[in-house]
Amino acid sequence: MTTAEFVKPGTLDEALAAMTRPGSMLLGGGTSIGILLKNRLIEPQTLVWVGALPELSGIGIDGDGTIRIGAAATLRELARSELLAGAVPVLPDAAGRIGNPRVRAVATLGGALVHGDPRQDLPPVLLALRAQVDIAAGSGTRTAGLDGFYHGFMEVALGEDELITGVAVPARTAWRDRYSRFTPGSEDDFPTVGVAVSLRVGDAGLVEDAEIALGGVDSRPILAAEAAHSLIGTEGGGAALEEAARVAAAHCEPGDDARGSADYKRKMVGVWVRRTVAACLSG
Amino acid sequence: MRYVNDVSLPGMTYVAVARSSVPHARIRSIDTSVAASQPGVIGVFTAKDLQVSTYGRSVRDVSVLADDKVRYVGERVAAVVAESRVAAEAAAELVEVTYDELPAVFTAEEAIAPGAPTVHDAPWAYPRAFITEEQGQNRQSVVEEGSLEAVEEALQKSAFVVDETYTTSAIHQGYLEPQACVADVEPSGKVRLWLTNKSPYILRSQIADCLGIEADSIEVQPIALGGDFGGKGSPEEAPLCVALARLVGRPTKMVLRYTEDLLSTDARHPARIYVRIGCDTDGNITAWSQDALLDGGAYGGFKPAPTVSIHGALEPGGYRIPAFYSRSVIAYTNTVPKGHMRAPGAPQATFATESAMDELALKVGLEPADLRYRNLLRTGEADVNGREWIEFRGQETLDAALAALRIREDAPAGWASGVGISVYSRTTPTSTSSSMRLVPMPDGRLSCEIGVIETGTGSHTVARELLAKGLAMLPEDIDVVQVSTDELPTDPGAGGSRVTASLAMVADQAIKAWRARLEDEPVLVVVDEKGGPPVGSYGVQIAQVAVDPETGQVKVLEILSTVDVAEIINEKSHQMQIDGGAAMGFGYACLEDLDESDGQVWSANLGDFKLPSSRDVPDFKTVLVRGGRGVGTANVKNIGETTTPPTAAAIANAVADAVGARIRDLPIRAERVLALIEAAP
Amino acid sequence: MRLHFALNGEEIACDAEPDALLIDVIRDLGLTGTKEGCAVGVCGACTVLVREVPVCSCLYLAAMAEGAPVWTVEGIAKRDPALVECFVEREGMQCGICTPGQVVSAFALGLEHDSATEEEIRGFMSGNLCRCTGYVTITEAVRSYLDHR
Repeated sequence: MTTAEFVKPGTLDEALAAMTRPGSMLLGGGTSIGILLKNRLIEPQTLVWVGALPELSGIGIDGDGTIRIGAAATLRELARSELLAGAVPVLPDAAGRIGNPRVRAVATLGGALVHGDPRQDLPPVLLALRAQVDIAAGSGTRTAGLDGFYHGFMEVALGEDELITGVAVPARTAWRDRYSRFTPGSEDDFPTVGVAVSLRVGDAGLVEDAEIALGGVDSRPILAAEAAHSLIGTEGGGAALEEAARVAAAHCEPGDDARGSADYKRKMVGVWVRRTVAACLSG
Repeated sequence: MRYVNDVSLPGMTYVAVARSSVPHARIRSIDTSVAASQPGVIGVFTAKDLQVSTYGRSVRDVSVLADDKVRYVGERVAAVVAESRVAAEAAAELVEVTYDELPAVFTAEEAIAPGAPTVHDAPWAYPRAFITEEQGQNRQSVVEEGSLEAVEEALQKSAFVVDETYTTSAIHQGYLEPQACVADVEPSGKVRLWLTNKSPYILRSQIADCLGIEADSIEVQPIALGGDFGGKGSPEEAPLCVALARLVGRPTKMVLRYTEDLLSTDARHPARIYVRIGCDTDGNITAWSQDALLDGGAYGGFKPAPTVSIHGALEPGGYRIPAFYSRSVIAYTNTVPKGHMRAPGAPQATFATESAMDELALKVGLEPADLRYRNLLRTGEADVNGREWIEFRGQETLDAALAALRIREDAPAGWASGVGISVYSRTTPTSTSSSMRLVPMPDGRLSCEIGVIETGTGSHTVARELLAKGLAMLPEDIDVVQVSTDELPTDPGAGGSRVTASLAMVADQAIKAWRARLEDEPVLVVVDEKGGPPVGSYGVQIAQVAVDPETGQVKVLEILSTVDVAEIINEKSHQMQIDGGAAMGFGYACLEDLDESDGQVWSANLGDFKLPSSRDVPDFKTVLVRGGRGVGTANVKNIGETTTPPTAAAIANAVADAVGARIRDLPIRAERVLALIEAAP
Repeated sequence: MRLHFALNGEEIACDAEPDALLIDVIRDLGLTGTKEGCAVGVCGACTVLVREVPVCSCLYLAAMAEGAPVWTVEGIAKRDPALVECFVEREGMQCGICTPGQVVSAFALGLEHDSATEEEIRGFMSGNLCRCTGYVTITEAVRSYLDHR
């Protein structure tokens, strides 16, 4: 291997400085980078490990109910967080079903977001939650919606000098969130389709706002905005639900692979949008 | 426990190989200069450096390094010897090979089509080839039994006939220890070898023939094996590592990365099996024909025999069949070389024929179990080859299975439930050629030296318990040790459901010799047992499934294995063979597929080639039908290969029972099931 | 680079490449109980504890363990001999190649849960593959360990 240096910055500023070195690469938990490194698919000169950076850690909640999660929080921390279990239970539920305990123990939220594999579970969940990512660079910080963050297969809108410091999820008051990961073969596999649904339901039982996000059915995790929109103002069942499922299935562009043909995945998007919306509404 | 990868010798060097990136090509040139100049690299070698011939367990058609041609993606082309594994692997990527690509064949059907590209120019010319030029190009073996004419005539007169084709996928043995080798050549020429191999005595001559040395100059060292399932019987990397150790004058070590193992070792043959079964109006079988075409991959030498047995439930004489025909053709293709895996041939054939039996039952209007019951042979009857057996206990086994069946009521809401049955029977080898030494220890303990490697099936436990019983000793006072090939005369190796029966025969002789010994000295026995009348064992499986009608997802809730047994030497080891065999049958049925379309293995790591996990597997239940008559004075029957072959058909039959979808292609993927549900009238 | 960590309770220092994997560092130190199987984080044969959580040592960079407690199967066996006893008694080890990883994962499960249902055990242990047993005896071994602590 060609890596000349391993850097463990003590502060965010040190991390940002280390990232300016030629051939540097950020490392969270290493579950993806480890595979790429050992197969010589990447050859960084400097590895900058931010998995233990204090400024990227922690899970908290603001006065307005905004949930803030550090980019270095591990999937294990998400899955076991009592705060998240109360504030946004879909997140620990999804995080706890990814990979295996060894992967969850080290894989970080930030790593999960920037890896950009469309089959991952957390991106659609966070898309449906309308999460914002906090991004830092030597030149300053910025905040960006996760919608628009994914450009293509393993392509994200992040500059070479930028790193994700955390994620903000808006308050979940009156929202109901569910995530379905459909693994018809082994449960220990990427999902054939992943469907995240967030619905805000009014007192009258009408859907006031909605998001539907899909994983595994395009070159990137996507929002099915039109499908979600078609639910607004309805009770979320019957013909409206069928229509939302149909629109979501038509919206995605899956590919053929061992986890299913494009046709099958599209069909499964329809089934699982219907089931996930129904699950949201039933409790 | 020490495995090959744990062996470290002074002065060790590490081997990695450059592998073919194309399925079929002439090698125009190999440039090793860049690889050779990398730090830590001792040397880079190609076929012309080695001065070896081909190797193989049966036909000797495998090149140590590709010579003029490559025949599959993953074939060894050049070898790097370096001071570290990482250095060797990095340099191997820098070997530059220029290929002139050739048209290729990726399936057995393509391979035997007239005018197909030839994988080997003259496969009949390899030492110990099993075919002749007259049998045609791209064949590894052609085996025919019975009379096609008699079958055709009987089918004409049959009241009901099933006439269907079934296909199965290529799968890997899935042992978790990748293939590995350590070779050390002493100045005298003596070779010490540590290899992930279960047949050390036979291995010596396989390597010696290839390298042009004497078999007894090779000493195969005792070592634990991290899983076998049929995949660890070939010399694999040993001829290369020994040849390289000779060239560099230092010990060599090569450990495959798991991806390399999936790309280049001896996966189970995918098969297309055309089945025709006829019966009369009462459901009595009148004719049976099975015509199998199997993809043998680029080389045949990974198999201990050039054939696989496709007899399925008929192997020891399962059903009463008046007119019988069987043909199996194994073709050469430009895919991963295929080998033997747990009951080679039987999982493919049993899926086909036991699915066909259910299709026949539907036509006749009989319950699937009733159709089988009336056709199972009874003790005293002759099998399809006219042989009489010690006993047939198929009907008792089926009765016991049905009596133990408890219908599951835990299918998820909205899912359909189904029950499926499958019958398999297998012979217990009654012959062996083996040896054992009993050595008294100063502290009163007994050391038992055997040539049988512990592949993970509990064979050493079995040896200990056999001796303890025969010598009235406590098992914990007996140490069973596998010794190197220099220490004992012979052993047949593990596999073929033979270990327990073989150990029982040699232990029986050892116990007699030990009792008759005059002085307190070691006792060596060598047995060459030719065997008596055939002994068989039935395995009946009943699978219960739930099927999601909207997605086609199949959950296998339970597999009930009912097994015809005689004496059981160690109950726990025996039970684990039953459970582990059924788990492997489940993986074959529902998950595993190397996916070799276009000659590339697409499931090239264990993230994509899914082995069943602890939450994937169904509940396993077992009924033992005791009282059978087994082999020898120990009175044992085979178990290691009894519960894998019937599983796929049991699950497919259960799916058909649940939703009417008849699966004729493995693996049983949700997408296939849904397509069949939607296509149903 | 120079690495320092507490391996099975003992402070050690060793030299390693900046991108060395933990499994290679551990095995080079002579602790060969940790096995490389799939090499992609799926099979679990390489499981070790770092900072008391299970990791895939075949993907984990050794440098990330700087200053941390690292436990391999050799250390776990001494730390909790009862766990090994449960596996010896119940698992009925077959080929044995997955057993070290199963033992470390079972220990990690025990650190997180005082008790667990059959489903929880199978869920937690599902990242440790076994091709021999069908998991019945492994699940029994873990159950027995949790019950008898």
